[in-house]
Amino acid sequence: MKKLFAFLVLSTLLLLAACGDSSSKTQKDSEEKTDSSKEVSKEESKEVNLYTSRHYDVDDALYKEFEKETGIKVNVIKGEPDELLERIKREGDATKADLFLTADVARLFRAKEDGLLQAVSSDTLSKQVPEKFQDTDQMWYGLTKRARVIVYNKETVKPEELSTYEALTEAQWKNRVLIRGAENVYNQSLLASFIEINGEEKAKEWASGLVANFARDPEGGDRDQAKAITAGIGDVAIMNTYYYGQMLNSTDAEEVKVAESLGVFFPNQDTTGTHVNISGAGVINTSKNKENAVKLLEYLSAPAAQTVFAETNFEYPVNPEAASSELLKSWGEFKEQDIPLSTLGDHNSKAVMIFNEVGWK
Amino acid sequence: MRKFFSKMNTWSFLALCIILFLVGPNITIIEGLFTPENENWAHIKEYILADFIRASFLLVFFTGILTIVLGTSLAWLIAQYDFPLRSFYKWALILPLSIPPFIAAYTYHGILNYTGVVQTTLRNKLDVKVNAAYFDIMNMPGAIFIYTMVLFPYVYTIVRVFLSQQSATLIESARMLGKGPFKIFFQVVVPISRAAIVGGASLVILEVLNDYGVVKYFGIQTFSTAIFQTWFALGDIDSSLKLAASLMGFVIIILILEKVLRGRKQFSYASTKIRPLKLVTLRGGKAGFATFYCTIIFSLSFLIPVIQLIDWFILTFGHIPFQDFFIYVKNSTIVAAISATIIIVFALIVGNFNRLFQGRITKVLTRLSILGYSIPGAVIAVAIVTAFIQLDEWLTPLYVKLGLDSTLVLSVSLVMLITAYLVRFFAIGFNSIEAGYEKIGTNFRDASRLLGSGITKTFFKVDVPMMKGAIISGFILVFIDIMKEIPLTLILRPFNFDTLATKAFQYASDEKIMEASQASLFIIVISAIAIFIFNKLLEKEPS
Repeated sequence: MKKLFAFLVLSTLLLLAACGDSSSKTQKDSEEKTDSSKEVSKEESKEVNLYTSRHYDVDDALYKEFEKETGIKVNVIKGEPDELLERIKREGDATKADLFLTADVARLFRAKEDGLLQAVSSDTLSKQVPEKFQDTDQMWYGLTKRARVIVYNKETVKPEELSTYEALTEAQWKNRVLIRGAENVYNQSLLASFIEINGEEKAKEWASGLVANFARDPEGGDRDQAKAITAGIGDVAIMNTYYYGQMLNSTDAEEVKVAESLGVFFPNQDTTGTHVNISGAGVINTSKNKENAVKLLEYLSAPAAQTVFAETNFEYPVNPEAASSELLKSWGEFKEQDIPLSTLGDHNSKAVMIFNEVGWK
Repeated sequence: MRKFFSKMNTWSFLALCIILFLVGPNITIIEGLFTPENENWAHIKEYILADFIRASFLLVFFTGILTIVLGTSLAWLIAQYDFPLRSFYKWALILPLSIPPFIAAYTYHGILNYTGVVQTTLRNKLDVKVNAAYFDIMNMPGAIFIYTMVLFPYVYTIVRVFLSQQSATLIESARMLGKGPFKIFFQVVVPISRAAIVGGASLVILEVLNDYGVVKYFGIQTFSTAIFQTWFALGDIDSSLKLAASLMGFVIIILILEKVLRGRKQFSYASTKIRPLKLVTLRGGKAGFATFYCTIIFSLSFLIPVIQLIDWFILTFGHIPFQDFFIYVKNSTIVAAISATIIIVFALIVGNFNRLFQGRITKVLTRLSILGYSIPGAVIAVAIVTAFIQLDEWLTPLYVKLGLDSTLVLSVSLVMLITAYLVRFFAIGFNSIEAGYEKIGTNFRDASRLLGSGITKTFFKVDVPMMKGAIISGFILVFIDIMKEIPLTLILRPFNFDTLATKAFQYASDEKIMEASQASLFIIVISAIAIFIFNKLLEKEPS
């Protein structure tokens, strides 16, 4: 009996040990790796640890290309931006993270506020990323741009009827406006930009005016809004250019048809400009591979990588030297909102509260 | 007597260690209840609290009812009757469990939306103009439908195993007394399987309360969306922990209700002969109806979404990198298998402790150990990260002695992820094991003990063999759940560690549902194989 009991205990322990062991083995492997790399690191370390919330295949391809060119291994953890930030915070000084990359400026702002980032000065970066898309303290740099535009049904809406985001709250758009839910950070940043430009009261008026003109309660993603136009549920939608590009290039012929039936309109050209947001990255303040992290940033903002972003992911390059893709060019030049992007992060919480208050689900 | 206690103490010591291990991380969350209210909390109370309580309640209530109706009726049909395709549906009806809820939601939306197969066929082939709004499933009824379809197998599996192994005598007696099938169902089957039904339904409810993917995509505000919104959008983790803690409060109430509903009645083997129920063969219209019913449910819950996924798979094959999928498959299966094994071993120990010590404190302690299932994954993740970083801090002197260069060892390893799975999914394994223990009762154990066998020998010679069914079904359920798990894996995985679920999620969250089909299908196929194999194993069981 005792034996049997011992067996049970042992087998449990063994199991635990086995799982601990297998992972501690991989752990050891990676430790050895870092160990050896540490020895090298007296000259130069050969890896960079990246926490990213972007999970496009094109990003992976670029990291691989970077590895090939520089011999620096890019280790990646992908996740939702806030959860990654929370993890870095909890890991504290011991964190392995070197670089935090995410698809919205509000999160970069929060990373900076929480003291997770450090200033980076690099001539290459200053040259490749326009000042507007950098943090004022150089804590983060933008890598790609997305414009949040109005798309419209070519049959029922003439582009002349469109002018500004604000005009969508007018009576003629009653039951015709489509946009996704309030939990979406793109919408939060959009509203945050209005808080910055027009003040809180006006921004709130806009949000509640738009809710009054909703064709339906918000549901689905950006692509769903486009489809709802073609389906006749509404006539105009606010969505990111990047999704529109994806739809035009979809493997599904029906999606292409939807995209083709829509027109793209860049609002506020005569006033404050179209809202743009960025993907961007910042170096973690405890980074042990800071140089490599900066190298990766420089690589991603160089014309070659920028063009890849534009051509495969339909995002606008931030680097003015980079060639944009044919598709992006076909939509034409446009005037951008001219506000420091960090203000979007600054007003984010306020924007969320306004959404709740006006009943934007 | 003294010998008895000394033995028991080792058992209970082990069990207590496990419970402590599982409950530990949750303490961070309970703390949330006692942090002072801030202005965000006031805002939440004023503007969104009522909405999400209402939405959560509606979701839980209707999904609960519908899964009970579907699960129990199907379990009863399969357990009692023979009809065409029965042996296929017997295991195939578990398959919907292999589809991650968010994938089911994206897939159904993909089928039904404007560019989906239904509307395009109507529009392009049949030239029928339809109102797109009729096909909209991104709403409350749609969410209830999705949850019901992917979660009813919890009720089905647990009730079926219970009925097919346990109810023979009772049901056959009822038959001999001339009761018709419906009377037998409502007067015998439902009352005796009440514990199994409630057990299955409580898993469904906890899963619904916890799920984030479906409600976020459909734009429904529930407890879990509110927790994330508070945490992420308002950047206020204190208020979000407060919400999580209130959610836990609800769950505790549900668990207490569950105990009350199960009642004090215990139906365990009265005779040594455990034999399967003799199947009644259905003929004609009745057989047709039974097959039809199973076919409809199977098609809606599994066949239709899977066919759509296969279609997308073919459409996108070659458009996304495929060579790494072997690694994702390996990562997913190994981690799920290890975690499921540990959970079952833990559940056996805790379950036995629970059965042998019939005290109130024991009951409370074991209930506490399954609380992890009620907490949104991301919140558990933060609790676990905090705990592991603390652990690493304590172990730093050791690491230094060993000459490691980093002070983060455990917290960047798979151990952390597996621990999180244990905390999160222990409830699933424990539920099966507990039902198993309840079924076998204590008569045989007592007999074995009277005949002089020790508690441990009894455990291995008497309890475990009788519980094989429960062990196997518990293992499958946990394995599949981990295969499709999302928030924990996303946050807690080591560098460069992708699973099928994380891959599927990444594509889906970029609104690339077609590309997500590849990883989703792998999850479904692997889970289906697991279900099939274990079903074979179960059939070989003499019971």
